[in-house]
Amino acid sequence: MKEQPTSIAERLGLVAYRNQGRSAARAHIEVDTDICNSGCPHKCTTYVCPAKCYTLDEVGDVHFQFEDCIECGTCLYACDQGAVTWRYPHPEEGRGVNWALG
Amino acid sequence: MEEPFDCIIVGGGIAGLSAAMTLARGGARFLLIERGEFCGAKNVSGGVLWGTDLEKLVPGYADDPDAGFERFVNHRRLTFLDADSAFSVDFKSARFNDKPYGGVTVLRAVFDAWLAGKVQEAIDESPYADESFLATDILVEEVLMEDGRAVGIRAGDETFHAHSVLLAEGVNNLLTRQVGLEKPFVDADYVAVGVKEVLRLDADRLADRFQLTGRSGLTNEFVGAGTDGVEGGGFLYTNRDSLSVGLVIGMKDLREKGGTPYDLLNHFKAHPAVADMIHGAETVEYSAHVVSTGDIRGLPSELYAGGLLIAGEAAHLLMNAGKAIQGMDYAMRSGMLAAETVLEARKTGDFSKAMMSNYRKALDASYVLQDMHSFQDAVHLLHAGPMFKDVPNVLCDFGRQFFAVRSEPTPKAMSMMHAAVKRHASYWDLVKLGIKAARSL
Repeated sequence: MKEQPTSIAERLGLVAYRNQGRSAARAHIEVDTDICNSGCPHKCTTYVCPAKCYTLDEVGDVHFQFEDCIECGTCLYACDQGAVTWRYPHPEEGRGVNWALG
Repeated sequence: MEEPFDCIIVGGGIAGLSAAMTLARGGARFLLIERGEFCGAKNVSGGVLWGTDLEKLVPGYADDPDAGFERFVNHRRLTFLDADSAFSVDFKSARFNDKPYGGVTVLRAVFDAWLAGKVQEAIDESPYADESFLATDILVEEVLMEDGRAVGIRAGDETFHAHSVLLAEGVNNLLTRQVGLEKPFVDADYVAVGVKEVLRLDADRLADRFQLTGRSGLTNEFVGAGTDGVEGGGFLYTNRDSLSVGLVIGMKDLREKGGTPYDLLNHFKAHPAVADMIHGAETVEYSAHVVSTGDIRGLPSELYAGGLLIAGEAAHLLMNAGKAIQGMDYAMRSGMLAAETVLEARKTGDFSKAMMSNYRKALDASYVLQDMHSFQDAVHLLHAGPMFKDVPNVLCDFGRQFFAVRSEPTPKAMSMMHAAVKRHASYWDLVKLGIKAARSL
């Protein structure tokens, strides 16, 4: 029997991203983590994001990376603190997904 | 300046492509702009396109072996889960084999690309074969407005002008917000997050496992323990040689309860009833997307302005009243109705707000907004705690008693039900729920 993935890393390994070869892509989402780290009561992006783009470090601060983003929009709706500026990735210079099945 | 297009459609998903098909057939000159590498490249859905409009859009599609859908639905199942049991309502009918089909499973990167091909064929046969375009890989960053009226779009340094702009950008509706018809921040109450895996399973094994013949398919929705106490539900849909398995989880409840979508998906897949259905299948893609809940309060303040129309999930047109998650068929119908308004406007050259309001009237008169209005109570009921906790627990407890055969005296079914209710809920609550459900459906 073939294995089914259980970790998010394995799952994201199945996602095809655009401009994967580019050394530096333009970020399409900007997160003002100062807002997250100065009084956000839930820091919910660190658990609701289906691609785990938001993480907590050992002192409980939020960090964000856009490279694994699958453009689902969860953080656009889930963040109620105004920390997330959400755009679509630029076709040539950004990252973003390229679904094979969808 | 170049002659403006009759319409610029932003987004090559189902709403945009349905509009494009209608415009091509109606002899209009239009530009559809899709930001993905191809139509469908950015699209995710759970996987069932309900309703019969696809037959209108692509007549005879069901007889085309190369048509971009996966399977037609003739077998439906709703399953209530507790931790170890599954109680199902199951319906299969040979009448559902008749065309037009009432539902087909789809994988959007496949389906939308196929539909775009059909639209291109319609363009090729239209009076504007060389002047209407499906343009991919372009990101629309701005709707150009003049005197409160949409006159075109900007993509990078380039601008394109049109008599009308149709926003079919999907639920992450940035342009709808930019033109002011949607608030800059939309409350999490009105959306859910969908997570899905597509699991490859050899077509013969799949047909045997799910009792499928030819291109027939099964859809199975799940309520209860699959979401581990978080509001939401699960689904399993059969594709040609794969399964779409996932969850739709209430955004607000997920935020409050602290759940993580992929852990909940593991939890769902590990349920014994689900695990038996997917064993041996290999995960080939993981995806996620926000989805509207179908709460009518989530709609933009208006779905049109001068020279501007909004269709599909950009307008939060979706309904999930427990029977089916209808989003793609709403996208299809709203796209078609928006295009019909453009065709009407084109006759007189009047693209004013008053003319565009005919789209809203047509949508109000259609099954899309009629159903959204009449099933709001069901939408709210579905998102209430008892529906995804008490009801599945009671049913599974009852099932364990009723379907168990022990070599000892057997209580009557009514007393089994009494016992099950007593253990998991209050009679009064269930009676209230029953009355509400009977009224709302």
